[in-house]
Amino acid sequence: MQHPAFEEVSFHHHTEDAEFKKRVRKTTILLSIITVIELGIGLSIYMIHKGPDPSHLLVLMFKGMVCILSLAKAYYIVSVFMHLGDEIRNMIMTIVVPLLLFIWFIAAFIIDGNSYKTLRNRYDKHFQETTMPKEHHKATEEKKAEPAKSEKQ
Amino acid sequence: MSESIHIHPGSVGHEVAHDDHHHGHHEQSFITKYIFSQDHKTIGKQFLITGIIWAIIGGLFSVLFRLQLGFPGQSFPILETFFGHWAKGGTIQPEFYYALVTMHGTVLVFFVLTAGLSGTFANLLIPLQVGARDMASPFMNMLSYWFFFLASIVMISSMFIQTGPAAGGWTVYPPLSALGQASDGSKLGMDLWIVAMALFVVSSLLGGLNYIATILNMRTKGMSMTRLPLTIWALFFTAILGVLSFPVLLSGLILLLFDRNLGTSFYLSDIVVAGEVLPNEGGSAILFQHLFWFLGHPEVYIILLPAMGMVSEILSVNSRKPIFGYMAMLGSLFAIAILAFLVWAHHMFVTGLNPFLGSVFVLLTLLIAVPSAIKVFNWLTTLWRGNIRLFPSTLFAIGFVSLFISGGLTGIFLGNSTIDIHLHDTMFVVAHFHIVMGVASMFGMFAGIYHWFPKMFGRYLNSTLGYVHFWVTMIGAYLIFWPMHYEGLAGMPRRYLDKAIWKSFNQFGDLDKMITVVSIIVFAVQLMFVFNFFYSIFKGRKVTSTNPWGANTLEWTTPINPGHGNWEGEIPEVHRWAYDYGKDGREFIPQTEPVGANESKH
Amino acid sequence: MATTATAHQTKWWSGGKSPFNLEYGKLMMWYFLMSDAFTFGAFLISYGSIRFSQNFWPDPNVVFNAFPGAGHANLPLAFVSVMTFILIISSVTMVLAVHAGHKGDRAGVMKWLAWTIVGGLAFLGCQAWEWHHLITGEHAALIDGQIQMVGQTTTVNPWGQLADPGVVFEALKNSSPQVLAQIVHDHDHSHTWKELAGMSKDQLMGMINVAELHVREKGPVAFGGYFYGITGFHGFHVFSGVIINIVMLLMAQNGVFDRKGHYLMIEKAGLYWHFVDLVWVFVFLCFYLI
Repeated sequence: MQHPAFEEVSFHHHTEDAEFKKRVRKTTILLSIITVIELGIGLSIYMIHKGPDPSHLLVLMFKGMVCILSLAKAYYIVSVFMHLGDEIRNMIMTIVVPLLLFIWFIAAFIIDGNSYKTLRNRYDKHFQETTMPKEHHKATEEKKAEPAKSEKQ
Repeated sequence: MSESIHIHPGSVGHEVAHDDHHHGHHEQSFITKYIFSQDHKTIGKQFLITGIIWAIIGGLFSVLFRLQLGFPGQSFPILETFFGHWAKGGTIQPEFYYALVTMHGTVLVFFVLTAGLSGTFANLLIPLQVGARDMASPFMNMLSYWFFFLASIVMISSMFIQTGPAAGGWTVYPPLSALGQASDGSKLGMDLWIVAMALFVVSSLLGGLNYIATILNMRTKGMSMTRLPLTIWALFFTAILGVLSFPVLLSGLILLLFDRNLGTSFYLSDIVVAGEVLPNEGGSAILFQHLFWFLGHPEVYIILLPAMGMVSEILSVNSRKPIFGYMAMLGSLFAIAILAFLVWAHHMFVTGLNPFLGSVFVLLTLLIAVPSAIKVFNWLTTLWRGNIRLFPSTLFAIGFVSLFISGGLTGIFLGNSTIDIHLHDTMFVVAHFHIVMGVASMFGMFAGIYHWFPKMFGRYLNSTLGYVHFWVTMIGAYLIFWPMHYEGLAGMPRRYLDKAIWKSFNQFGDLDKMITVVSIIVFAVQLMFVFNFFYSIFKGRKVTSTNPWGANTLEWTTPINPGHGNWEGEIPEVHRWAYDYGKDGREFIPQTEPVGANESKH
Repeated sequence: MATTATAHQTKWWSGGKSPFNLEYGKLMMWYFLMSDAFTFGAFLISYGSIRFSQNFWPDPNVVFNAFPGAGHANLPLAFVSVMTFILIISSVTMVLAVHAGHKGDRAGVMKWLAWTIVGGLAFLGCQAWEWHHLITGEHAALIDGQIQMVGQTTTVNPWGQLADPGVVFEALKNSSPQVLAQIVHDHDHSHTWKELAGMSKDQLMGMINVAELHVREKGPVAFGGYFYGITGFHGFHVFSGVIINIVMLLMAQNGVFDRKGHYLMIEKAGLYWHFVDLVWVFVFLCFYLI
């Protein structure tokens, strides 16, 4: 169909009605499943924290997984719901390529945030003593030993 | 998916899309023609004139604080007449001095060299040079100007309130800018500053989206991307930089506004003001600097790229030679645009930034030297053996190249974190960025104004005044900023009100006097230019041919005073790039001329 | 008039047409959203930067565990999953509205737009409840050697680390009787407020089992600022999306699009609405999941 008002556009995508609805349904189900998995992971993190000996590595792995799952969700929303997947390749590139800037944007900010923490722990003892998590709440002896150890580092 | 393409032969561009522009033949009222105009040329002129007014204000501020720096403690009773308690006894008070410095920076960086420069020339040149009747959305284009106008009103109004405008430097670093109790300049003036900048971001976004969409979608038939004049490429990258980086400033300012008014602790931690311990905990002042410079560094290129593009065009036209290395110019513009986003923290080497992270930023920063050098060599080789016509526009363009080289070289000093530890916050930095970004972009803007004035108003600027303007500004700029390098190397800090108690800086007393005197002279010459500008609009020599400079680009195929819609008949088709000068024994071959059978390749 | 060609022969970049085969409005909408992505990106990255600068950050499962009408039941992430599904479903209805627009089906457009608006309003309602609950909900927190009942605001965060029972016991002695009464009431409803108000501090202390009390220290203040700031900014986008959709609905009802001959405006409104959903994916990730 030609839109008389927009001559710079020379054709329009046509998709079969039934095929399109099927695609939307499939995407919706996929998004829901991913969300449920994410919630499941969120709850398992809760369980791990509640447990007697929280494994930081496991928590980190779970958190990494939700991040990837969220990116997958974002991909489906942009590609199917926003129809970016149906556009011309160059158009897709003009959207995707600038987003690559986020890599350095995120990395630099987080590295610097982390380095600020290290600085504060080293030079602001009050900050360190009041906010450093105690690994075992009941073992008060260990609590006192912990900051002293990292002090030397 | 089946795709069938219906190409309509003879459907020329967007005439249908913008058929309401053809009502130009109707009588327009004064308001729709000159005030709420949707014609890109008028909007460009509105940006330019508003920018000129801002430049006078911002320039005057610099003269005022130069008085303090050149003649510390001396009384100028006339100042008290005008500024009352801000200049009690005729001497500039500390709060006034900091407000002047802050407003000078804000005004010149944002209101003059962003809105006034790219606002003017993107609006004027994009539709004319790509061959479009108007911008993609003329209405949003109009809104872009009026948001800028609104931002201007708010910023101006902040100068007339009791506690004065923002006074924490144009970078508004917290905690100073976040705490009203810390200084007068951090009270209401700071809130108004944030509001004005938010409006400014909206304006720049509306404009930038329009520029991008117009350049991509509205090019006339035959105008492929690689046939675009370099001005358009530069403005294209400028718009992309603005669209992607201004929102980050907006985020940073919103958080600052919350810290100021809602008691949050985004940037504040462990602060005592006048004996009062503040409850804020856990924020990071460095975070604001990251957010600010994520815009702030691209902003430098938002200012510089349009000047680069116009200088490329003007040098090629006036040396009657093709631009040297078109694709290399384009590639280096692209490289600069990418690097602009990756190097922001080189403004923050001494903030407590992680030194390892700093070293990565050093590496990325120094990479900018590569595309910059490519551009410089290409400008020089464009001039090389050309039949140079030394119009004021050419002189300003050559002046731009000179300033870009001298200012760029000092950037290599500052980009190295180790040297920056010594030079940071000294007059050396002031010298560097004024030469490379401030004055150089001003020169690009002047070159553009002298070159396209005939297209804007159908008259010429007075050349004699133009030559005086150039030589005084050129010599003056070097006299003002060159000595600041020495002051900075000797460790003289910037932004200080009075350095008299440091004996070692006393040796620079006469130098500072000289700088102040020269800056007054240069300011006076700029006023002469403003006179020339307004006088020539009404009384300048009339343009008699459509193509006074013998240029190839499309804007010179329009009537001398084009109406809304630019071309009277159909939009011309383009058959070649914009730089066929001195080819096959012909002085110039316009883009609209079809390629001849026996024509040599360029 | 029309000549037919195939896609690969078209010289997209030669001028006279859109290189992406998109009208300028949609192009501008895409780049606006790109710009807006940087606004949100900057917020979330700032949040990340601050979070990495802290030794301790509250577990979202502990903070977001309430459900309307469920009293003090511990239901981590339950309510926010409802909000997330509302937004996903409203995104689906928006897709269907845009699709109906492609076919020029006015009734379909209006039906699906209306559902999208309902979804948007439902989401805003949920957010209002959540904010209200967090701000007014009172949690016992160990502050300056006392137990205080505080909500989650931009200046106080009650979700710090679990306090040592011995310290809590000492702190209870310094706390006001009102706070003690409230703590007792929260765990044991057998006494009326009036009875509790009449009791002495020692009596109240006797009724509190410190080991069961899970009192927390003060948490990082920035948590509240970022949570309210970013979800508020997202909520503002949802709100403006609802307004846009209402305007679209009215325009469709008045036949504006039929007169224009196309429903491209709906497509642009749709892009904006999906973007709001997209942002929620990351807000959800950053505040509720990790």
